[in-house]
Amino acid sequence: MMRRFFAPLLALGLVLAGNAQAQDTLSPLHFQSDGPLGGIDKAAAQRGFLVYQTVCAACHAASALHYRDLEALGLTSDQAAGVAAGVKLADGSAATLDSPFKAPAMPASAFGGAVPPDLSSIAAQRPGGAQYIYALLTGYTTAPDGVTMLPGHFYNKAFPGGQVAMPPVLRDNAVTYADGTPATQSQEAADVAEFLTWAADPNLGTRHQIGLRAVIFFTLLSIVAIAARRGGGG
Amino acid sequence: MIKELKPLSSLAALLGLLTASGLVLAVYYNPWHAFASLGFIEREVNEGWLVQAYHATGTTLLFGLAYLFLFRAMLARGYRAPDDLAWALGVKLLAVLLLAGWLGFVLTGGAAAYWALVRAANGALALSGAAGAIGMWFFGGPAGEGTLARLALFHAVLGVAALAVLAAAYRRLKPKMSPGVCLDHLARFAVLALIFSVLAFFFPHLGQPAVNALPGDPLTLPLGTALPWYLLPLAGIADALPGAWGGIIGVVGAVAVLAALPWLDGSGPEAVRSRWYGVLTWVWGLDVIALGITATARDCPQASLLLALFALWYFFHFLVLVPLVTAMEAK
Ligand code: HEC
Repeated sequence: MMRRFFAPLLALGLVLAGNAQAQDTLSPLHFQSDGPLGGIDKAAAQRGFLVYQTVCAACHAASALHYRDLEALGLTSDQAAGVAAGVKLADGSAATLDSPFKAPAMPASAFGGAVPPDLSSIAAQRPGGAQYIYALLTGYTTAPDGVTMLPGHFYNKAFPGGQVAMPPVLRDNAVTYADGTPATQSQEAADVAEFLTWAADPNLGTRHQIGLRAVIFFTLLSIVAIAARRGGGG
Repeated sequence: MIKELKPLSSLAALLGLLTASGLVLAVYYNPWHAFASLGFIEREVNEGWLVQAYHATGTTLLFGLAYLFLFRAMLARGYRAPDDLAWALGVKLLAVLLLAGWLGFVLTGGAAAYWALVRAANGALALSGAAGAIGMWFFGGPAGEGTLARLALFHAVLGVAALAVLAAAYRRLKPKMSPGVCLDHLARFAVLALIFSVLAFFFPHLGQPAVNALPGDPLTLPLGTALPWYLLPLAGIADALPGAWGGIIGVVGAVAVLAALPWLDGSGPEAVRSRWYGVLTWVWGLDVIALGITATARDCPQASLLLALFALWYFFHFLVLVPLVTAMEAK
């Protein structure tokens, strides 16, 4: 069920094919978006979008995102339009560049009342951001002895309280990456975490770049101004 | 006179920035879809995210400076003549900023903001008589989209009011300009801009409750007091007193004792420096920080007791300790 391949995702594959295979960011786990000077790893975020579209979108909306926003991840306008054209909206028409990411059609009672949250800015809302999402997606284990599971819940060591209504959805080769990166479960989790980091804060890289320049400029200005005050104004 | 002027120019620069960025935000803000319109500004409007970061960081720095300057004036007993006027204007400015800051936070329409508004509006509407009528006029009814539309207007009006208080301060203090003063301003501006850049570009959500990144939801109530940092001490005092009237009296009283400080200090203008007064003021400063921290930790079982103690100390300091210590000194 998770392996619904949309024709337009092949178009996405064309973009990815141009990029080199992913570097190893899993051991130890790190994200290019981490840290004060971090920026989005576009190749990883593109792969993460593929995971989102193939797996997560079956249950989660990301209504703040539009298909045109994918251009910021390095897709051309035509490629983004191709992705959108392959998405069927509830009324049967195809999505366009200006449509928000399609909301899943699911009854509210599907998970015993636990509504899958909108993922547009989940990375900003949950403490730990990308690290937490990665830990959540790879954190399913068998429940320790003595824990009574609620019906319809799964044991997850990253989820607060340990019992989550989201089933384990990622497994090896749930998607096929066109850039040749092996689609292991942890690689998929890391990529979708980078994608969601971008979704929550699309300007992260730009913000850090401008910030660095502003800090350098105002540090120099402060030094000059303070020196001038010492020397001249005194 | 230049001494009082230094903070004024930083405050004026920040208020100017807030007015300018606020104007841009107001163009795109839609009270009927508050949360979505902020998302639109952040994601779709050209450089909208930058304007938003400026507005948020400007607010943080403005409150930071206002609190620091008032505390420094308290320590130096700068509220007595001949500076009593500057002090009165400072407290007035703080009062205007606090109300404008609360309104601005509520306008975001996030989960924390939504519930802050619902609590305040329900509390105000439940009051009887004139107070209830004022509450009705202010909120226009139970919290809803229409409420945000009028609060957006009040927020803007208060921003202009803050500018007016600053202008009044300038007129009273009549600053003189000289090359030395200009260089001084330049140095201050550069350092302020440096701190501002670090905050705006690397910590754009500093001091904001994380739950506010979720849209407001009438069905899920976030735990505890989730407010931006600059409102927390006051929220602590309001929470410590029971009921809607308790909250109102707490908030108004907390600002009123600050305004009354020149009269509570019984030592007269010629008194020498007092060590005890300094120690007590530092303790009071810690008490304010403790109030803020406790206000965020409402799920801790001792929180209500601690809040009550800290709030009691806040008023005890102004109403008993300050008059006592300064009167003993005057003899
Ligand atoms: C079969 C449906 C389903 C799929 C597919 C799915 N989720 Fe979920 N997800 C849920 C449900 C249900 C919840 C709510 C869990 C709860 O509150 O117990 C949830 C919750 C979450 C949360 C929030 C956890 C928290 O801290 O509250 C995140 C993050 C998340 N999912 C990410 C993902 C990602 C990333 C994918 C794709 C790899 C994905 N989900 C695929 C059903 C799904």
